[in-house]
Order: sequence, then structure tokens, then C-alpha cells
Amino acid sequence: MARHLYDLAYGRAGDKGDIANISVIARSPEAYAALKAKLTAERVKAYLGDLALGEVTRYELDNIQALNFVLQRALDGGATRSLRIDGLGKSLAGALLSMLWDDDMSTTEQELAR
Amino acid sequence: MTRALPMIEGGHVDVVCFEALSELTLAILQKDRLSNPDRGYTFDINIIARQILPKAFERKIPLITNGGGLNPLGAAAAVAQTASKLGLRGLRIAAVTGDDILEQLADLQRGGASFAHLETGEALPPTADLPIVTASVYLGAAPIVEALKAGADIIIAGRVADPCLYLAPLVAHYGWSWDDWDRLAAGIVAGHLLECTGQVVGGNSLALIDRVNPRDLPHLGYPIASVDPDGSFAIYGTPGLPSYVCAETVKEQLLYEVHDPAHYLTPDVSADFTTLRLDDDRGGCVRVSGVTGRPRPEQLKVNLGLLEGYMRELIFTIGWPEAWRKVEQLKTMIDETWHGLPIRRVEYRYLGINSLYGELAPLPDDPYEVIVRVVFTADDQDTLKTAVRRIMANGLSGPAGMSVSGTTVGAEPRAILGLWPALIDRSCVQPQVTVQEVE
Repeated sequence: MARHLYDLAYGRAGDKGDIANISVIARSPEAYAALKAKLTAERVKAYLGDLALGEVTRYELDNIQALNFVLQRALDGGATRSLRIDGLGKSLAGALLSMLWDDDMSTTEQELAR
Repeated sequence: MTRALPMIEGGHVDVVCFEALSELTLAILQKDRLSNPDRGYTFDINIIARQILPKAFERKIPLITNGGGLNPLGAAAAVAQTASKLGLRGLRIAAVTGDDILEQLADLQRGGASFAHLETGEALPPTADLPIVTASVYLGAAPIVEALKAGADIIIAGRVADPCLYLAPLVAHYGWSWDDWDRLAAGIVAGHLLECTGQVVGGNSLALIDRVNPRDLPHLGYPIASVDPDGSFAIYGTPGLPSYVCAETVKEQLLYEVHDPAHYLTPDVSADFTTLRLDDDRGGCVRVSGVTGRPRPEQLKVNLGLLEGYMRELIFTIGWPEAWRKVEQLKTMIDETWHGLPIRRVEYRYLGINSLYGELAPLPDDPYEVIVRVVFTADDQDTLKTAVRRIMANGLSGPAGMSVSGTTVGAEPRAILGLWPALIDRSCVQPQVTVQEVE
């Protein structure tokens, strides 16, 4: 059955200048293991496309079973400059959580090699 | 603001902090200050002074805020006036200044400060050539600690880093030393969890979407942290009011606006969020322990705001049939209408379709309606006003059945502020505390 990342995790987005962060917080230890193995920074950047124009960095928090993604150049210049209706990027966590998730999904490296 | 009253009147707290500034807020306050030099502080100050201060003063609960914005002294004067009218004799008001370095910027630059952009590394061009409207250094907790020790009942600061507002009373009360990194970091985590009020008690929570009663949202009891001498703390909502504090809400807020969670930089300490432990009692209280910290950064962060121009938006409604063809007609018509006008940028998004998620969102083939949001910018406000007038003059010559949202036609241009984050040596920044007493 097709699932979304949202079925494995919840999250919240925040802004600092033109940098957005999206937390991806696992709903279970199994989900966290899967996220850690497969939800790489490269995959997140590829999925978000024009929502994350710059580098994407991933941080791991084993203690609370969460990942934190930091997206450079993700807010059209930041809240004080952005022409977007959601200039603060409050909705961006939802964008990432809409990723379709297959438990058998190949690793990003394999995907990129294809 | 007034949602802080129940925790004060119920006797649930020893001190209350009000975090009131965002990057955007300072830019807006600068406009206020330009039109009236007595202003430049947040409107929250008036509400705090009139509605909260009398109750807090009666119970000897100090109030701490960064709502002084660009004019903490002006805010203090306004509070003094209100307090005097309310008869709050003996009330001590402290203003913390020294964060606003706009006036010193050129001298500092001549003295060798590069103000290199934190993200790009680019050196700041000569300030005289730039439309810089704000220059605010993120101060730490020390001046607030000083004010508390001087017996202040209300402390009004400007750009103090958000979580440092909350760290200050802990340092003042427990006497934590400025190199006790683990405890300082614990105070920062407590502040970080509290500073967005509703966001840790059930607001803005995706995790609790099935649990939170929407009727509770406007009444959520704002969060309280009860901090032990070792820095570990319990976080919970104001007793007697609805709140949904649990491990999920704490995790959501812990990572809000955070970059590297092992190095959460503040003026007072670098906090590590990856060592902490959460214990949810399943009764609306979460204990946070095990926070660790590392020495504070050598330099302070300063944010410069540059006026880059102005923007306007118009929202058009387009219905079936041939909606996409009409959208193209509209875009072409706008392009023709603005020919020769110095418009800098024009952006189109379709509300309800792709205004949030861009390319991720597929466009429907033959929609019943398309709401077109067009946003455009120019160096000056007059160009934008002319642009809107020209469009409206063409209203009856536009695509079939098109309409425009009247409120967007009547709106005023909004300033576009560029932010230039940089670092500055601590020796260049001298925070000051000014205390006055109401007679």
C-alpha cells in the first residue's frame, strides 16, 4: 500500500532568514530506523525541488528519535523579502511529509546510480 | 499577552517573560520610529503595562520582555507614564540598551569590522552606500540579570536573544556562573521551549491533530517551566486551563527554528539538544534533563536590515470554462499594461493549487476555479500604485468572467527588507541598564 512519510513521522518547519528547517519526528523506533537509513539529505533535496534551492543538511537526534533538515535558500530571500504567500515557510514540513514512502525503497545512492 | 494573567493571578510562577521580536518585527518598528522618534517599541508594551503589570507588581512577580524593540528607553518612559497613572508607586522599571548599533556602524566599519555575511561570507560594502535601516546585536542574559539584581519589577530590552530572556531569571536566582555551560544550556532549552507560548501546549501541532479540541486553541494555558537547581526542569501548561503538553509537543517545539541541534548558538552558551532526555508523565507534564552545553561563541550575532524596495499583491479569480487559457490572457495583459514601468519582479502563484508547495503540486487539467495571486516589486511605492491603477483601468477589457479581490486593490505597498546577518566582537558592544522608579 502506498504510504506517505507522514505515516511514519510528524514535523514542524521554522525560519531564520532565507534558511528553513524541517524536523521529521519518528512515530516509532522502527520508523526512526527506517528514516535514518533512507531519508538522506540528498533525497530530501531532490524531492523538494524548487522549495530548497541551496544545500540541504541532515542532523540526527537519536535521543528523541528525530531528524532535522536544514535547507539553505529555501524561503525566497526570507520572511522580510519573500513574495510567497507563506513567506515564513510554516507549511514546509507538510511538503516534505507528502513524500511517498515504500518500505522496500532502494537507497538514494542506488536511485541516483540508475 | 493577557493570556499570561492566569499564571500570575493563580500564583503559579515567580517570573514571566514575554518574547516579542522577530526579524520582521524590527523592520516594522523601524518604520514607526522614523515617523515618530518616541515610538519604535512593540504594541505589546502598552498591553503589558496596562493589564499585566498592576497584577504582577502586586504579587512581586518581575516581568521581562524584549518588546522594547528599537526603543527600550521610549518604552520604559511609556510604561512609567502608565504606571504613574495607575498609582504603582515604587515600581522599578529597567531598560536594557546597547543592542542597536545603527549609529555606530560606519565607525565600526572604519575601525576594521568587516560584517561579513554569515551565510555567504561576502564583506559588507561601505555602509554609507547602503539603505541600512536597522542594526541589532543579539544580546545575552547578563544585562537582564543585572536589572533583576537591581530590583527591577519590569525589564524592557530590545534585541536580546529570545531564550536568553528566560535564562536571565535562572542565573539571577540560582547564581549560576557564566561558565557553568550545562546549566546555562538547560536554561536556554527551557527558554526555547517557552518562547513560542502556544506552540508547546498544543498549538501548531501536527502530532496532536486528532487530540486537540479546536475550541481550546484560543484558550490554551501558556507554558510554565519549573526549573531545579541542577537545570533539569518540568514543563506544563498553566494549571486550570486547557493544555496538551506531552513528549510530542515538546519534540515539535524543541526543533523549531533550530539548525545544528548539537550546537544551538546563543550569546551565553552553545546548547546541545542531542544529550537531553524527555520523560512524559502522560498527565500534561514533561521532564527535561541531561542538557549539556559548550562555551559561548567568541563573537555576537548582529542583523542588519536593508530597505530593498516595496511589494504589492493582487488576487484575481478566474472560473471555468477555459480557466488556464484565461490565466494566460491575464498574464499577457498585465505584461502589456506594465510596459515601460520600472517593475522589478513579478511572481504568479495559484492559491489552493501551488502557492505553498510549488513544483511538488500537480496542476489540474480543467479546474472549476483558479485564484491567481500576482506579486510585484519596485524600488518605490509610486510605481506600484501606478501599476495597480493601470490594471484596474483595464478591468473591463480583461479575460471573460475575471474578478479581482477588492481588499487587495485597496492595500498599501509593503516594504521589502533584506537581512544581512554578521558577527561582531563582544568588545564593540556595551549593554547598558537604566533603572527608574515610579513616584
